Amino acid sequence: MSDIASWVSQMLVGCKLTIELFAVTLVFSIPLGLILSFVRTAKCPKNTLGRVLYCCVEWIVSGFILIMRGTPLMLQIFFVYFGLPYVPVIGPYLTFDRFPAGAVAFVLNYGAYYAEIFRGGLLSVDKGQYEASKVLGLTSMQTKFRIVMPQMIRIALPSVANETIILLKDTALVTAIGLSELLKVTTNIVNRTTNISAFAVAAVFYLIFSYILTVIFRKLENKFDF
Amino acid sequence: MSIIEVKNLKKSFGPLEVLKDISINIEKGDIVAILGPSGSGKSTFLRSLIDLEEIDAGDICIEGSYLVKNGVYPSEKEKRKILLKTGMVFQHFNLFPHLNIKKNLMLAPLLAKQDTKENIEALARETLEKVGLSDKMDVMPSTLSGGQKQRVAIARALMLRPDIVLFDEPTSALDPELTGEVLNVIRNLAKEGNTMLIVTHEVGFASEVANKVVFMEDGYIQAVGSPDEVIRNQTNERINAFLNKVK
Ligand SMILES: Nc1ncnc2c1ncn2[C@@H]1O[C@H](COP(=O)(O)OP(=O)(O)OP(=O)(O)O)[C@@H](O)[C@H]1O
Ligand SMILES: [Mg+2]
Repeated sequence: MSDIASWVSQMLVGCKLTIELFAVTLVFSIPLGLILSFVRTAKCPKNTLGRVLYCCVEWIVSGFILIMRGTPLMLQIFFVYFGLPYVPVIGPYLTFDRFPAGAVAFVLNYGAYYAEIFRGGLLSVDKGQYEASKVLGLTSMQTKFRIVMPQMIRIALPSVANETIILLKDTALVTAIGLSELLKVTTNIVNRTTNISAFAVAAVFYLIFSYILTVIFRKLENKFDF
Repeated sequence: MSIIEVKNLKKSFGPLEVLKDISINIEKGDIVAILGPSGSGKSTFLRSLIDLEEIDAGDICIEGSYLVKNGVYPSEKEKRKILLKTGMVFQHFNLFPHLNIKKNLMLAPLLAKQDTKENIEALARETLEKVGLSDKMDVMPSTLSGGQKQRVAIARALMLRPDIVLFDEPTSALDPELTGEVLNVIRNLAKEGNTMLIVTHEVGFASEVANKVVFMEDGYIQAVGSPDEVIRNQTNERINAFLNKVK
């Protein structure tokens, strides 16, 4: 029994890192996803300069999302941690410690996924909502934040919940660059004690976190049910 | 001076010429019914007047200011100022589903800083009363019937105290037994001296309420005049055929 108590106290240290990575990713990737989704659903301006700029930004964003969704997250983590310092000229400025490197890869990767979820939500807002906003004299900013976003969020929430629970479990990937998050700590315990029941304890931790997330998202969904 | 002056308006969607050459003057207090077969450009014309469609050529002058002159539009800010006095009611209501009725009504005047919050709320109450829905202040749009939704949409348009209200088939999405309540609201507004343009298939309603009837077909205004001239004593065969069909 005292075994388990000592495991749990070690695992809690791992949990702290898991939660930190999870929180940092969530806090930065959701705004990133929002911005990217706005860019991808923006209308092409009419003047020439605007059109050129629009096409460039559109191209960069589409390329970014293609790469982020088209390659393994593990590879992206390796790339940020090991690869970026070798980039010519700017490489020396792109040398990250383990945690920031993992966080950067996670934020970019999840930003891309959230962007696509939000884009789906934005596309399903009826165009009559934009027209009503316009004839009532709302500016495009007011329309975006007061009218479109709340409706987009309702549509996107179930997918965001799904993606966020995947994020929680994906945090285990940073083990690959030597960060001791929950699963890494657990593996160490198993290796040391040759007792695999530590895995069961880890599973309980993940389940508790997932359950908390599920409850939070259910609350949010109720709040956005109109 | 006419409240709306449209001159040589042209509008295409790609190769499709929808409005070929539209000119019309509308006077303050006019109730204009716009009739015509499906696809004749009625909605496109109405939507052009409130900048939901950008026209290719011609002028639209509203209360003395050009929304567009020779196909050229002023800045966004200028347009916004000109359109402040025009409201619109849509076929599908387009209420904001995430806001209750009170907030649907109050949002635009609050954002436009039209008045104090208390006064805007009082106005919302008063306007809802006018459309017979004073008990619905705090409910969500999803709980209303179609006719009630459309009456809220009309109230919402009135909150900005527009001089001109555009209606695009306000009863077409409603069950027949619900059209009456909406037409009644519009009928009452007509008595108050608002300027209104109504695209409708309700010929009976048009000839009763409107003082000016416009018949559109093939991108042109084919006839314009009093209900007597355009509806009751129509001699043009094609127009008569259309009127008989929708009656
Ligand atoms: N955004 C658009 N893009 C392309 N074509 C359009 C667009 N809006 C309308 N049209 C076309 O323009 C023509 C006129 O449409 P409009 O909606 O103005 O007709 P309408 O007289 O209002 O018809 P209805 O009585 O069916 O509402 C139609 O052929 C329609 O298909
Ligand atoms: Mg139409």
